[in-house]
Amino acid sequence: MKKVKRRANAALLIAALIIAGLCAYILEFIDHGKDWAMFPANQSVYSGGVLNTGTLTDRNGMLLAAAGNGVYYYSDDPATRIACLHVAGDYRGNIGTGAVTAFASKLAGYSAINGTCGDGVTLALTIDARLNIAAYEALAGRKGAVLVIDYLTGEILCMVSSPSYDPNTSPDLTSSAYEGVFLNRAISSAFTPGSVFKLVTLAAAVDNIRDLTERSFYCSGSIALSDGIVTCSGVHGSQTIELAFANSCNCAFAELAVELGPDCLEQYCRELGLTASLDLDGISTAAGNFEKAADSETALAWAGIGQHNDLISPYSMLRLVAAVANGGIVKEPTLLMENKHGAESRILRADTARTLAEMMSYNVVYSYGEWRFPGLKLCAKTGTAEVGNGSSHAWFAGFLDSEEFPLAFVVLVENGGGGLAAAGPVANSVLQAAVS
Amino acid sequence: MEAILQSIMYFSRYLLPFLAAWLLFRCGRSMLRERYEPEVWAYLRLPDGTAVPVRHWECIIGRSRLSDIVVAYPTVSRSHAALIRSGKGLWTVYDLGSKGGTRVNGESVEAAELEDGDRLTLAGVHLDFMDLNEEERLSLSRQRREPGRLIRPGISFFILTIFQLLLALQHGISSEPEYTRSILLAFFALSIAMWCYYLIMRSIRRTGFEVETIAFLLSTLGLSVAATSVPGDMVKQIILLLMGIGLFIALGWWLRELGRAKALRWPVGFAALALLALNLLASEEVFGAKNWIYIEGFSLQPSEFVKIAYIYAGTASLDRLFMGRNLFLFIAFSAVCVGALAIMGDFGSALIFFATFLVISFMRSGNIATIFLAVTGAGLAGFLALTVKPHIAQRFATWGHVWEYANDAGYQQTRALSAAASGGLFGQGAGRGWLSGIVAADTDMVFALLCEEMGLIVALCAVSGVILLAAFAVKSSAHGRSSFYVIASCAAVSMMMVQMALNVFGSLDILPFTGVTFPFVSRGGSSLISCWALLAFIKAGDTRQNASFVVKPPSKYRSNAGYMEEEYDQCEYEDEEYGMGPSWEEEPE
Repeated sequence: MKKVKRRANAALLIAALIIAGLCAYILEFIDHGKDWAMFPANQSVYSGGVLNTGTLTDRNGMLLAAAGNGVYYYSDDPATRIACLHVAGDYRGNIGTGAVTAFASKLAGYSAINGTCGDGVTLALTIDARLNIAAYEALAGRKGAVLVIDYLTGEILCMVSSPSYDPNTSPDLTSSAYEGVFLNRAISSAFTPGSVFKLVTLAAAVDNIRDLTERSFYCSGSIALSDGIVTCSGVHGSQTIELAFANSCNCAFAELAVELGPDCLEQYCRELGLTASLDLDGISTAAGNFEKAADSETALAWAGIGQHNDLISPYSMLRLVAAVANGGIVKEPTLLMENKHGAESRILRADTARTLAEMMSYNVVYSYGEWRFPGLKLCAKTGTAEVGNGSSHAWFAGFLDSEEFPLAFVVLVENGGGGLAAAGPVANSVLQAAVS
Repeated sequence: MEAILQSIMYFSRYLLPFLAAWLLFRCGRSMLRERYEPEVWAYLRLPDGTAVPVRHWECIIGRSRLSDIVVAYPTVSRSHAALIRSGKGLWTVYDLGSKGGTRVNGESVEAAELEDGDRLTLAGVHLDFMDLNEEERLSLSRQRREPGRLIRPGISFFILTIFQLLLALQHGISSEPEYTRSILLAFFALSIAMWCYYLIMRSIRRTGFEVETIAFLLSTLGLSVAATSVPGDMVKQIILLLMGIGLFIALGWWLRELGRAKALRWPVGFAALALLALNLLASEEVFGAKNWIYIEGFSLQPSEFVKIAYIYAGTASLDRLFMGRNLFLFIAFSAVCVGALAIMGDFGSALIFFATFLVISFMRSGNIATIFLAVTGAGLAGFLALTVKPHIAQRFATWGHVWEYANDAGYQQTRALSAAASGGLFGQGAGRGWLSGIVAADTDMVFALLCEEMGLIVALCAVSGVILLAAFAVKSSAHGRSSFYVIASCAAVSMMMVQMALNVFGSLDILPFTGVTFPFVSRGGSSLISCWALLAFIKAGDTRQNASFVVKPPSKYRSNAGYMEEEYDQCEYEDEEYGMGPSWEEEPE
């Protein structure tokens, strides 16, 4: 019998295998349970493939979208519906990065402990619908994007992409006016940056060129390089770096770019988070592009002033100006009120950030005109990115040097013309709404 | 009213896992932690004067440490002789081909009966055999501890009743009004059946209920699954459950006597073959497997009953292991069973039988080489099956990649995982899931259904219940009377575990999807009945004092009823616990 007893232990081997299998399952469950639960066939969460649970509001509790019992609806106010469409998303899943889709598991109230809870939960976005409306109206039908962030907390207060539409009426979206309408241009597209890219070249120059502030840059309207010339928007004569930045002088920045070299600029693009795809609360943002033009000085020079094949998303530019505003540290942006005081990372040295901030302030005072932005202590940089066929994207990026309103912003108007003329007023409208 | 119902739903959601875990903890503690004293049937006095107790009906005497009675003299062979007690209480000694030979009262023997006072001589070493008479045996057995002192079974049943009540309430709240009554009645009937069983067993002084408690818990979960998926069939479910319990008691009663239990092995083996043959001839194909027979509106799965027969025919007492034929007949029998199932296309069951075959043949032979050979052979056969049956090959192709085939080959597993995840730890509430709407959710994907409605904790409790049964069967095997019972109980738990593993891990994409049932929990009459029958084998291995109705107490109480009552008064027993029951205590020999 003793022998038989010993052999009986074989049964325990089966038991051990089962326990090992269960452990494997539990680990998988912890790891992937959320993805499994958010599978569109899950009828506790979806109804006919449409999210059927949860309520989405803006930061002030204004309803943006809600679903349950097989019906879904958006805000009662058409302006809110249109201005918040891209950030809130839609139940048909057209806006792939919208909160309804991207935060479906949060709306379903999923947790490994409670699973998906019946009626879902109310999820508040950091967005202020009022600012979104102001921004959308200021864009006035032009294609583009507006972003505003509280650079001390990382909360994104305004995120607008134009064109947009009313999800309740769903117009015919095939005309050219609605080209790329499902794309959230603020995070899912990258554009030629033009002169706003000079912030990057400037940051690299401040760090790497010792006598930068003592130097004089001469602009004769163009600069001749070994394999071509780079033209400037004007003839600026002899300038300090502050003046060259305020004039957005191509000659000066072409010279700096060539001096810094392709590797240095590429490294700065990477470290400032401009080229890689970033993660915004689980949403992947569009990657940018910086081509190391190692064999051509002209190409390198154009790349250093934001032309050539440079591409940057408004979102990554927002992170950069937010870091400049916050002493070089970027509070990781978030769209969720529940994520207060999230992670932060230093992407610029503190003194570099201070220098950049001072020069951006000087830009407004010396070049753009404070009168355009009444009551705002604005620091900014314009960009007028030539995109061929004679048109250009208008950029305006910067921040308020204000403890009361620690706001950083990016405005992009596609094919809008001059940065200051086209994007400046949009920024002013949104910021005036934010500080009022 | 609505608010009250909602709060019942809310709190019971957390209470159910707690009760299930508590119940299992109690059962586990009682089964695995309580002291388990061996029975003593006789003594052998060694030359040095020590009296070694004979603790089983089948003992190996020899020099080896693995002998049941170790006689550490150099002339004695490692396994020298076998001492075997027949069902009638007669002892026989068999020489196991020893070098030094075996003598009884000086006469050289191959096999001889032993009586009290006989002198057994193994290669010149004298051993005195001292059989116990009824009185001695009774007084010894009374000193053995009974289960149920530390963990009182009545309280466990009470916890289970609360569990059933809460579950019934949840179903009552969430079910369609037309079914509410029948669902509540079914749970009520289950509770009543459980308590009747308890009272009957207590009336014949049985105190070990852990095995049944676990089975009742699992059956309760099974009833809940049925209430979710086929609320119109509750009456049928409860009748099937009662039939299962009936078969459990009947088979248990039959197994009480080793002699008659052994005698039926051959007929049972033939019955198994006949059932399989009938199945092959008369079945219809469902889901790619021809394993159902339809008779007058009833459907049954003969392979489920073959499981009982297979274990019954496959187990063997020690005399067969040492002196009988080799494993050839059993291997042939197993090959026919597994082959027939494979031809039917029921590869899940074929796999279960094969795994059980491995356990039985290992326990009978201890021969790992044979096992290895069998696994290799089966592997080749399995490979052949894959090439012949495309739907099996597809399951292997999908395995581990179900999300890539979410709407075709991985349809069931992805739904199962999704529903299981949305249940979290505590579930959505009984009757509130959606998985039950998917084909085979209440059978092949029942683990996920449990996760969705009652949460991961309850589902894990269900798995733990079966594993506890296995741990108990293995623990009890140290004290088994005959290897017939030990092998049968270990084979039964192994069969249940393999079946459960295929079911659970198949639906969770940890193993390929095989489509077998979860013991006791999956909806399905044949499966439920066969699981309860298998439970009788486990119950037969439990030799704790007065624990199992399947195990006959060492003495015949009828012979001296007056004497008995007097004895009880002197014991520490509480009287009311031991009302003398009529029932099958009294057996003609």
